[in-house]
Amino acid sequence: MIRLFKVKEKQKELAENANGGVPIKKQTAGELRLHKDISELNLPKSCAISFPNGKDDLMNFEVSIRPDEGYYLCGTFLFSFQVSPIYPHEAPKVKCKTKVYHPNIDLEGNVCLNILREDWKPVLNINTIIYGLYHLFTEPNYEDPLNHDAAAVLRDNPKMFESNVRRAMAGGYVGQTFFPRCI
Amino acid sequence: MAEPKTKYDRQLRIWGEQGQAALEKASICLLNCGPTGSETLKNLVLGGVGSITIVDGSKVELGDLGNNFMVDESSLGQSKAKCVCSFLQELNDAVKAKFIEEHPEALIDTNPSFFSQFTLVVATQLVEESMVKLDRICREANVMLIFARSYGLTGLVRISVKEHAVIESKPDHFLDDLRLNNPWPELRGFAEAIDLNVQDPVAHKHIPYVVILVKMADEWIKSHGGSLPSTREEKREFKELLKARMVAMDEDNYKEAIDASFKVFAPRGISSDLQQIIIDSCAEVASNSSDFWVMVAALKEFIANEGGGEAPLEGSIPDMTSSTEHYINLQKIYQAKSEADFLVIEKRVRNILKKIGRDPNSIPKATIKSFCKNARKLKVCRYRLIEDEYNNPSLPELQKYLTDEDYSIAVGFYILLRAVDRYAANFNSFPGQFDGGMDEDISRLKTTAVSLLNDLGCNGLTLTEDLINEMCRFGAAELHTVAAFIGGIASQEVIKLITKQFVPMSGTYVFNGIDHKSQLLSLY
Amino acid sequence: MADAAPPSKSRDLDKLLLRPGNLVGPSFEPGVQLRDDLQEYAKVLVVGAGGLGCELLKDLALSGFKNLEVIDMDRIEVTNLNRQFLFRLEDVGKPKAEVAAKRVMERVSGVNIVPHFCRIEDKDIEFYSDFNIIALGLDSIEARSYINAVACSFLEYDSDDNPREETMKPMVDGGTEGFKGHARVIVPGVTPCFECTIWLFPPQVKFPLCTLAETPRNAAHCIEYAHLIKWDEGHSGKAFDPDNPDHMKWVYDEAVKRAELFGIPGVTYSLTQGVVKNIIPAIASTNAIISAACALETLKIASGCSKTLSNYLTYNGVEGLHTKVTEFVKDKDCLVCGPGVLVELDATVTLQKFIDMLEEHPKLLMSKASITYRGKNLYMQAPPVLEEMTRSNLSLPLYDLMDKVPKDILHATGTINKDNKKSSGLRKLRVNFKGIDGVTDMDMAGGA
Repeated sequence: MIRLFKVKEKQKELAENANGGVPIKKQTAGELRLHKDISELNLPKSCAISFPNGKDDLMNFEVSIRPDEGYYLCGTFLFSFQVSPIYPHEAPKVKCKTKVYHPNIDLEGNVCLNILREDWKPVLNINTIIYGLYHLFTEPNYEDPLNHDAAAVLRDNPKMFESNVRRAMAGGYVGQTFFPRCI
Repeated sequence: MAEPKTKYDRQLRIWGEQGQAALEKASICLLNCGPTGSETLKNLVLGGVGSITIVDGSKVELGDLGNNFMVDESSLGQSKAKCVCSFLQELNDAVKAKFIEEHPEALIDTNPSFFSQFTLVVATQLVEESMVKLDRICREANVMLIFARSYGLTGLVRISVKEHAVIESKPDHFLDDLRLNNPWPELRGFAEAIDLNVQDPVAHKHIPYVVILVKMADEWIKSHGGSLPSTREEKREFKELLKARMVAMDEDNYKEAIDASFKVFAPRGISSDLQQIIIDSCAEVASNSSDFWVMVAALKEFIANEGGGEAPLEGSIPDMTSSTEHYINLQKIYQAKSEADFLVIEKRVRNILKKIGRDPNSIPKATIKSFCKNARKLKVCRYRLIEDEYNNPSLPELQKYLTDEDYSIAVGFYILLRAVDRYAANFNSFPGQFDGGMDEDISRLKTTAVSLLNDLGCNGLTLTEDLINEMCRFGAAELHTVAAFIGGIASQEVIKLITKQFVPMSGTYVFNGIDHKSQLLSLY
Repeated sequence: MADAAPPSKSRDLDKLLLRPGNLVGPSFEPGVQLRDDLQEYAKVLVVGAGGLGCELLKDLALSGFKNLEVIDMDRIEVTNLNRQFLFRLEDVGKPKAEVAAKRVMERVSGVNIVPHFCRIEDKDIEFYSDFNIIALGLDSIEARSYINAVACSFLEYDSDDNPREETMKPMVDGGTEGFKGHARVIVPGVTPCFECTIWLFPPQVKFPLCTLAETPRNAAHCIEYAHLIKWDEGHSGKAFDPDNPDHMKWVYDEAVKRAELFGIPGVTYSLTQGVVKNIIPAIASTNAIISAACALETLKIASGCSKTLSNYLTYNGVEGLHTKVTEFVKDKDCLVCGPGVLVELDATVTLQKFIDMLEEHPKLLMSKASITYRGKNLYMQAPPVLEEMTRSNLSLPLYDLMDKVPKDILHATGTINKDNKKSSGLRKLRVNFKGIDGVTDMDMAGGA
């Protein structure tokens, strides 16, 4: 291709003059795929999405979930999403920003949801993840615990679990841990 | 000096401290330090070989500056061996580096005993006559030898060692040793104590698949006259039975059991590769047998007796969905069986050593242990003398290669690399080495190649004009990138030979720099 | 009779560059001119000055190239010294790109190497546009994906959807892990780009968090527990820094405690580093092999002196020696290197009109389209919050929304109605505004 290189070199100045001011922003394949995911979102009424950095940064966004049934009825739980430029080759990083008494979410906001880690596949999308998160609130499970104590209570004494959840959501202590109000 | 553990961290993760210690004990001799030789040594010096000795009688010329990074303007006119040596020393002060300013061909002819001091000799850019002589010398002295040559856009790498036995072959994908098709009493007992029908769903989804399969296989055997599933239909049925035991959709342990069910169906006993090794005549040991073969002899006895047809258990298990407790207990059961097998083999090794008149404790425990852990993965590599291969290549193989499209360029180069040496012996230069007279060189090379093919018994077969033309165009050039590639391969093989880990290449590797369809030719 | 050529540094390379050959590239024109042109006009960028990058710089400098540049954001560490042969112990802490460039220039006279000690994202598109070939010596998918997007953004297609050769920016890419590696040639528009074959890279193994929290079984589980869960508990808000030895020691100590609690063997400091930093073992020989293949292909692409690798070489030295060439095929619908669909428009067309047109366009048949242009979301059908934020764009001319660039790439997502079947699709569109002057054939403006 050396002849082409040579020609190009010689015509470079010309070309440079002809197209100054070309914007340099590069959109990665990951951003494009995310654009598709976001523009096809179909969320239940109980979930809302927001973009803290404005309409042109889709890679960082927040989802709030307000369960309309189950133990967590009426609570509002905020999740942050961080999407990698090689999405969907890699799953988004999701954290729960609201401190919650939940068997599958620890006090630091780590979430045990299989599709966020070991079972992530590029065919899944943002919608699937949000539904997965929503599901965690309507059907918390004690079989895959991250908060060991909460899981044990849910398994052994669902009534007590229910009252613990209510107390935490209203803003109060469960055992030694304080939970800010999220209703 | 940097903490060696830190400096070598990225390679210690591959060959461990034992491998590194072997490298640091090794002394390597390099013949000819053009780019092929220099690049080979560079990779070994960086990795920390014990010592290097460079043998080269030439002075640095202007042309060397264009293909060898180890010489520069200030080297012009000086001994090439000296310049390369001093640059390599700069790369790693832990390596003892020295040089001898002498032509390798002269050394081969006048001082064959010189080579016996080395662990391994890397012979680069030698012509056939010198290769054959050196090969005999090294074989006699029991010194490992590797040939490397770059020639235009082709080249070759060839190991020559009488026998190289590998215990730690570290294959990438190897079936784990779970014995699901042949569980021993303790494993069966462990499985029996676990209830597959446990009510607690958390407990149910944390039963390791090993337990599930042992129990289900047992159940199957009882209802099928003592045999495991063997037909396709039976295997399908067995998987259905597994599926039927699931109580929830997300039971990963059951999914793993279904995926691993082939381990139940697998035939018992040892692989054909291992069978080959234990029937090898070397397994009939005598006082001068190597430690490896003594251990093979013990292994053979074990398989025939205590092992009941199986090799000693490896003892490690893969990760699997399980409660911590079950997993740790399972690990202990495998380790205990592995330890018991080891003790039996150790005893047999000691007995054999005594029988052949050697110190029964001359093989360290750790070596025997490693041998047992890796018993299923043992490898024995043997290499023909290069002279034998050249005089008597396997004719059917050669003819197959010559007529197989995937191999035609590589085998063409193999023939031509020999032909150019014959050519050089007749005409005092390589074809196309100098400008001018190209047409004559081409027709002479063609004649030489045809007569070589005839000598090999491939009458009537010929090489393409294109390839012969290219070979003349190459004019024995040693291109830096080709040399770096060939040198890289050579150093990789040296590391495998010295660390006695992984499996060295067999046959002759012929580099095809035109489209990279290089091939490994097995001509024995 | 044959003559000895006068002494020349180019003694060996000349055989390949000056003599005609039979198995060569289509545009090969052997001669002194070719050798001189390679030196004068070929500019190669080496991305990464690590294990592969050091080798690439040396190999290219000894393959007739004189104009090289190298970009790397890292500083030299002790663990580099077992393979990155341009660095010495006394260089630890210095920028890799600068030391590598200096060392090669010291030894190979006449070669000029410009180092860039920065992130690849810090350079603008003009920087990359300046090179004829880009050689990649990287260890991350993200960086490869980025450079690939940049290189493919120069690619233009003619009105028949054929790639224009003068806009192709070839890449050679290498990668290694232990005794294994790959080398490949990417000619955008001709061979598959990195994105066409991203599935070749296996995703990283991630343990389920609840396994780490409840049922750890091996040393790696204990380490990841300390790293991913325990760290946050003990350091409210302070981010974990893998390069901080105190942080690493903390994780190691916690992992040891946890391993003891569960009776799990095997937690070592070295394994902790390996798991947390996802360390890929690396040795000199594999890097040398892969880089040499990449440098040789670079020379062949530039000079045509031989055929080229088509298009993916794998090397495996674990069990014996295996090299294999695989010819992967392009994804014709690739969003990064594919032609996309050509759409010609008047400069007055509004975004709303444009979206309506996509529904009728025979090659698209796309309804309810959302449009994004170089990272700006021009219109989003959903979610409502974004729809609202972008609605006002609908009445504006697309030409204005595209910064009055006469031809460029944008992307549309929507419902494709084909053969009475609806499916969702993401499409690349080449938009050409009719009757806008100031565009020459040399226009390099593209976009992926």
